[in-house]
Amino acid sequence: MSWIELAPRHKMGLPIALPVMPAAGAFGYGDAYRGLIDETLLGAVVTHPVSPRPRHAAQGTRLATRGPDMVIHTGWPNPGVRAVIREYAPLWERLTVPVIVHLLATTPAETSSACAQLSRVRGVGGIELGLRSGTASRDALTLLEAAEEDSEVPIIVRVPFADVERLAMRLARAGADALTLTAPPRAILPVADEEEPGALTYVRGRLYSRSLFPLLLELLSQWVRRLNVPVLACGGIATPEEARACLALGAAAVQIDALLWREPALLTRIATTLAADAQTTEISEERYD
Amino acid sequence: MVKQQQATLTRVYPLPPFWAADFALAHPPTPGKFVLAELGGALREPLYPAGLAEAQFTTLVRPHHPVTQLLPGATVDVLGPLGHGFEIEGAQRLLLVAEALWLPPLLPLLEAAPNVALVIEATTRALLPSPTRIPPAVELHLITQDGSAGHLGTLEQGHDNDTPLRELLPWAERACFACDPVRYPALARLVRETRLHPGADFAQALVQMPLPCGVGACEVCRVMTRHGERRACVDGPVFDLLALDVT
Repeated sequence: MSWIELAPRHKMGLPIALPVMPAAGAFGYGDAYRGLIDETLLGAVVTHPVSPRPRHAAQGTRLATRGPDMVIHTGWPNPGVRAVIREYAPLWERLTVPVIVHLLATTPAETSSACAQLSRVRGVGGIELGLRSGTASRDALTLLEAAEEDSEVPIIVRVPFADVERLAMRLARAGADALTLTAPPRAILPVADEEEPGALTYVRGRLYSRSLFPLLLELLSQWVRRLNVPVLACGGIATPEEARACLALGAAAVQIDALLWREPALLTRIATTLAADAQTTEISEERYD
Repeated sequence: MVKQQQATLTRVYPLPPFWAADFALAHPPTPGKFVLAELGGALREPLYPAGLAEAQFTTLVRPHHPVTQLLPGATVDVLGPLGHGFEIEGAQRLLLVAEALWLPPLLPLLEAAPNVALVIEATTRALLPSPTRIPPAVELHLITQDGSAGHLGTLEQGHDNDTPLRELLPWAERACFACDPVRYPALARLVRETRLHPGADFAQALVQMPLPCGVGACEVCRVMTRHGERRACVDGPVFDLLALDVT
């Protein structure tokens, strides 16, 4: 079996056996789908976003759907880094695949401290740094530097959809071990009020949609070959064929987002298909040398 | 451990103001629990049992729900049973309280205790279920906001401050609520006014809201309680009513 190295420039590396994993926010902290998804078939587990300090859920309507599309605004509620480590470190140590903790970047000091704490937890193989949409280039580089300062594991940066052109190359050159392209784009959808016909409220948040997939391919085709770091593809991937298309465009691995809530088996279906592919195709690591 | 099962639709029919769908399912959800059904939309739809029998359940949905588009014999992929349901074991006097459009998940409890009282509120008579669908042994109290049937007023406050709940809450050993969750803080205060020491499981409230993943992964269904935020899909959707009063 060929291993896929997600962090070839990092002293520890981040080798995964299969190029498929859940996206941040889709899979909980690693135990939500126990009994339904066999995590040993995945390349890694990416956790729900964790912030340095606890965060409460967003108030008001958090979900709007329109046909197959949905906009979600949860506020990324979580109990904070310390509580998450206390609760989930035993589970992460038991998992047979590396855990990539998604860390919501806040201030450089908090980011640095959180990375230091997380990277010392057994089972944590990497940290995926989540940047807010519209983060200034200088701030993004400062946060990356802070994350790398005390982290002993590779740092992957998840780049906001609207900021790929501005940030991807800068982050890769600044030392990000890998990039996730992309975080879900921001969008707004109206929600009808059942009690009051004609009345509308609006949900502004993350857009999840299969329609994102062609946009993802466009981004991959533009950027993967120009970046000298591995790229994890994320956005609207809904079939093994679509995962294959991402890998064909040079992505090192794919992340499956909210689509897995409707079809949890999708994750393992893609994983087994790609595993079968891998038996016939050696994945070259030369590009990252 | 989350189960994935195949449910078979055996019958779908109008039951105003709802539509009813009967499913055969090896492990149906108990009252207050739910299954997430894959019906072709962006997300799975939560289905609560409104009637239960061995290896089958009936769910009541609003008109235009995707279940109503299915034909008998259709197979539906479901996750579940999921969540934490009503706990009424041993109760001799059970009080059920609902707004008419939120009532269905309480229906399996109509014969769950020797003595059951059901209080239903609707804006107007047309939205109330037909009394003939309620077992005769159930003590039925109707409330309409326009006074077209039963008591005039709301669950919390009737005409002349005379809501049936003021008499029934002291009588009951357990009370189960199914309302718009925004009503729960006021109903919790009513429970405190009428019961000296309501136990933690005396008043149980079903929080019906979107449940995208059903397993605690998405964090969309967070509910604020007196014990902090909880996820309706795994910590609920049935909660201690008194814990929902965070005002």
